[in-house]
Amino acid sequence: MVNAFAYVPAIVLLPFFSFLVALGAGRYLPKGGAFGGIAATAGSFLLSIWVAATVAGGQAYNETLYYWASEGGAGIGPTDIELSFGVLIDPLSALMLVIVTLVALLVHVFSLGYMNDEGETGLPRYYAGLGLFTASMLGFVVADNLLMAFMFFELVGLCSYLLIGFHFREPGPPSAAKKAFLVTRFGDYFFLVGVVAVFATFGTAQFAGPESFPALADAALNGSGSVAWTPGGLDLGTWLTVVGLLVLGGVVGKSAQFPLHTWLPDAMEGPTPVSALIHAATMVAAGVYLVARMYGFYVLTPTTMAVIAFVGGFTALFAATMGVVKDELKQVLAYSTISQYGYMMLALGAGGYVAAVFHLTTHAFFKALLFLGAGSVIIAMHHNEDMWDMGGLKSRLPVTYYTFLAGSLALAGIFPFAGFWSKDEILYEALVHGLNDPLLLGGYLMGLLAVPVTAFYTFRMVFLTFHGEPRSDTARDPEPVGWNVKGPLTVLGSLAVVTGLINMVPVQKVLGLEGIDLLHRWLDNEWGGIEGLSSHHYADIGPYNSGYLVGGEVGTVLVGAAVSLGLALLGLGLARRLYDVPSPTEHTAKLGGVKDVLYNNYYLDELQVWLAHRTEDIAGGADTFDQGIIDGVVNGVSSVSLTGGGRIRKLQSGVVSQYAALLTFGLVALLLVLGATGGWFL
Amino acid sequence: MVNGLPAVTALLPALLFAATGLTLLLVDTIRPDARSNTSMAVVGAIGSLAALAASVWLTASGAVNPDSGAVLLFADAIKVDTMALFFTAIFASVTALVLVAAHDYFHDHDNPAAFYSLVTFAATGMAILAVANSLAVVFVALEMVSLPSYVLVAYLKQNRGSVEAGLKYFLVGALSSAIFLFGISLVYAATGSLILSDIASASIEGLTGVLGVGIVMMIGGVAFKTASVPFHFWAPEAYEGAPAPVSAFLSSASKAAGFVVAFRVFTEAFPIEMAVAANIDWMLAFAILAAVTMTLGNFAAAVQEEVKRMLAYSSIGHAGYALIGVAALTVDGPANGTVMGAAMAHLLVYGFMNTGAFLFVAMAERWGVGRTFADYAGLWRRAPVASVAMAVFMFSLAGLPPFAGFFSKYFLFQAAIDNGFLWLAGLGAINSVVSLYYYSRVVKALFLDDPASPSALDAIDVRPTALYAAVVFAAVATVLLLPGFGPVIETAEAAASALF
Repeated sequence: MVNAFAYVPAIVLLPFFSFLVALGAGRYLPKGGAFGGIAATAGSFLLSIWVAATVAGGQAYNETLYYWASEGGAGIGPTDIELSFGVLIDPLSALMLVIVTLVALLVHVFSLGYMNDEGETGLPRYYAGLGLFTASMLGFVVADNLLMAFMFFELVGLCSYLLIGFHFREPGPPSAAKKAFLVTRFGDYFFLVGVVAVFATFGTAQFAGPESFPALADAALNGSGSVAWTPGGLDLGTWLTVVGLLVLGGVVGKSAQFPLHTWLPDAMEGPTPVSALIHAATMVAAGVYLVARMYGFYVLTPTTMAVIAFVGGFTALFAATMGVVKDELKQVLAYSTISQYGYMMLALGAGGYVAAVFHLTTHAFFKALLFLGAGSVIIAMHHNEDMWDMGGLKSRLPVTYYTFLAGSLALAGIFPFAGFWSKDEILYEALVHGLNDPLLLGGYLMGLLAVPVTAFYTFRMVFLTFHGEPRSDTARDPEPVGWNVKGPLTVLGSLAVVTGLINMVPVQKVLGLEGIDLLHRWLDNEWGGIEGLSSHHYADIGPYNSGYLVGGEVGTVLVGAAVSLGLALLGLGLARRLYDVPSPTEHTAKLGGVKDVLYNNYYLDELQVWLAHRTEDIAGGADTFDQGIIDGVVNGVSSVSLTGGGRIRKLQSGVVSQYAALLTFGLVALLLVLGATGGWFL
Repeated sequence: MVNGLPAVTALLPALLFAATGLTLLLVDTIRPDARSNTSMAVVGAIGSLAALAASVWLTASGAVNPDSGAVLLFADAIKVDTMALFFTAIFASVTALVLVAAHDYFHDHDNPAAFYSLVTFAATGMAILAVANSLAVVFVALEMVSLPSYVLVAYLKQNRGSVEAGLKYFLVGALSSAIFLFGISLVYAATGSLILSDIASASIEGLTGVLGVGIVMMIGGVAFKTASVPFHFWAPEAYEGAPAPVSAFLSSASKAAGFVVAFRVFTEAFPIEMAVAANIDWMLAFAILAAVTMTLGNFAAAVQEEVKRMLAYSSIGHAGYALIGVAALTVDGPANGTVMGAAMAHLLVYGFMNTGAFLFVAMAERWGVGRTFADYAGLWRRAPVASVAMAVFMFSLAGLPPFAGFFSKYFLFQAAIDNGFLWLAGLGAINSVVSLYYYSRVVKALFLDDPASPSALDAIDVRPTALYAAVVFAAVATVLLLPGFGPVIETAEAAASALF
């Protein structure tokens, strides 16, 4: 039988070819190269399914394919570092491949309706961007070492920049693109330093295998091994914490965690399918995925774990509160995205590896669904995104409404939609581990508080958009949408309803049904996987142990689920009371001063601008140094050379007899110098 | 000789050059009025490429390599080794590029045929120079390179500049040849031999002064061929007055020919141990020459207003860098082979980038856009491909990554430092900074400056295909030598190490 793993590079390369085709020949192709992109992502999707099936058949794959520097470890640095490209396929990356290729495929199809049918120009550029993005993201997913991951991480960021700024002739998008690029780059700067630190410390950046850096770190902390280098006699645990936090910088930037979340709402300037693919379902997930990928490293350092959990919990609540007051459909979704990734970080920090991956999966589907639904509404509303101009779209856009509703129920965490299961498991993990750890408990409480807020803003959005009376002419007579919009919505809508079923842990625990926690078993290498990359292994080396409330495990499960579901219903009910009326009015004035703070996103943008200006002052100092000292030296050399050169020019008089004389004198001088030093004439 | 071939097969590259030159000359003699510019260029280029292929084949097939030893012919007067073939490859590459480019440059010349045969004869001389193992052969080969060169510089007979440059070149060349020959005779007087290995083993008791003076005079001859101070005076004028393809040929191939003499004669005839024991420190002489040459060349280049003259001085500067290869040597130095190998590799890279740069100038002369930096303003709008190629040459000559010129210079300076010549490497680095200034002026003119008048670019009305091809090929080679630098430097270092 042919081995599916041999085709993993093809998964990455297919969208890359569609990028090349769209770039080179897109303008000659029908639909600006869209069909090439659809075919490529469909191919990647099918291959990914095959790869996942092979993993389910009990295999895994961890191969270095190409050494691009110092094969055999000669040449670079004192610690024999090899730089390579490779492929790592285990349950985690196989799952992620399926998610990314599926969402990318659906977004390509949706783009036919959103971009082509709307008569956008520059479509080859658009499809080229989508293709390159998909390829980069897939390359990141299959990366078998940290440096390769970093490179694709940066490519993903570049594509995000290109696509946010797609409408570069308008003032907003280029500015938003720059902001996204710079803010994420700020985080990536730490990431890059972290990559170098990992190389310096371990001499390798492999994710998996006995010689991988998580394994080496584990061994070194156990005392059964050692690392190549730590700076200046620093305690090993402290240093590993520092390295973990450095890499976390990139994660915080990409996954839009506090305080580097500010780029994501602005990124909504990009076309809506791009928001769905990049700024909700996949690229933003890259940060979380990276933590999951090197989870074996993070669990070794409790401080890093606590920081991750706390940042995650805080971001979840913080972003949710800002989502409450937004007027534009995509802005609400943007803040909900930040908030949901906060949940995933909370889960990872709390030791809930499976819970985080679970939420990553469900969120990818329901958030892509919501964005595409929003895109469908935006088409219908002729690109007006203000929810106060909508209303009553329910009867006019039934497919959009029902799928959007499914996504909203999932986002709000209402039983039995996908989001309920995953969010409940996150909160459960945070609770049982947090009972012994106050910092974690703080994260849990913030996550819990975010639940009603999430339900509130989600349904405020649903009611304002779809219920009540139409509040504008376009809302009374919206533009119909085609199959290429409805198709992807239907697929994702179904997934938003049923994805939760892959991991019904609460049901298993309460009813004692064995074997329905499929995702747990999947990530625990029950079918196939790589030694040292299983959830079980992480739990073994992790810092946490569980505590339970009254009634032991079952009681805790029930209490936790009931509390979070109750809070979600509370938020939903409040939203219904306030906004599910024929002519809703703004209630934000009741918030008083808080309203301004929320509208202005806690003034964080202003803070960052202020900080940037202070950095500019420092940079100004560096600039003075550069201009004055460095350039001064270089310019000095040049001005010396100019005057010196002028003299030489006079020497070159054009008279041959002078040349002969100078030549002879030069030779004689050389003779005298050598003769004198060598003592020939004595 | 392995493979059962006769030993004389090792001379194949030189023989191919000679046969090509004779063929061209024969055709021109029989039918002097046939204006067969194209077929001449094609035949000449094919001959050069065949010589290139022959030298690569001889190295790659193992017929001649450091393990199997060199091939000695004609009572040891000829020695074919890897270094000789390495240099022959440089000569052949440059010759092929120049011949192809000349096709367009001489498109309206009355009698282009002699040009092709003269270039090929000069290349024959270089190929023989590379294998010369006796001072007599060295001198004859050197003259065989020089005499066609004088004619080539003056090839535009109607052009006063070209004729004047040819005459000056000839006069300085005659003086230098005399000095070189006198040096050889003094060496012979002191050692009683002309074969390099015999000179090395001869007893020189009481004749140190004679040998020393002879060696210094021979250094003078080498300095003339490599255009090093103080024998450089001919270079700016000859390069400027000569047809640009000839300038390319002289500044790349002819210069490399000078270096092959320096590398072989001085290491084999006057081994470092012997020289130091006899107090004849020729390495010091080369170090002084290297320092002065690179400084003078770069500083003078910085004040030029004409691109071709700037390239002439930059070519002197590069001679200074390459001289480090014979200057940064010590007794049992750990990096003796490395530093000379790096200099050889630099000459190879330089062969492409410098030839390409001069050929770009040839293209500008063909268009008739003018000679100064200002005349080149905004050229990229009409000639984007050639301008990008020129930018590659300039940045590579300046030694900026990621071009091949960066690596060769880096290895050269690194090896010099390894051998304890930090000052020489430091001086080279400072000179590189200076060079960046004037090289980037060209790029600035091409890409950033606006043309003096909107009609200034109208002169670009033809697309000289062959010139374009040669320039683009040189640019591609300059870029490809970056990934391909590993094998080049390894071959060069192996070849150089065999000399010590």
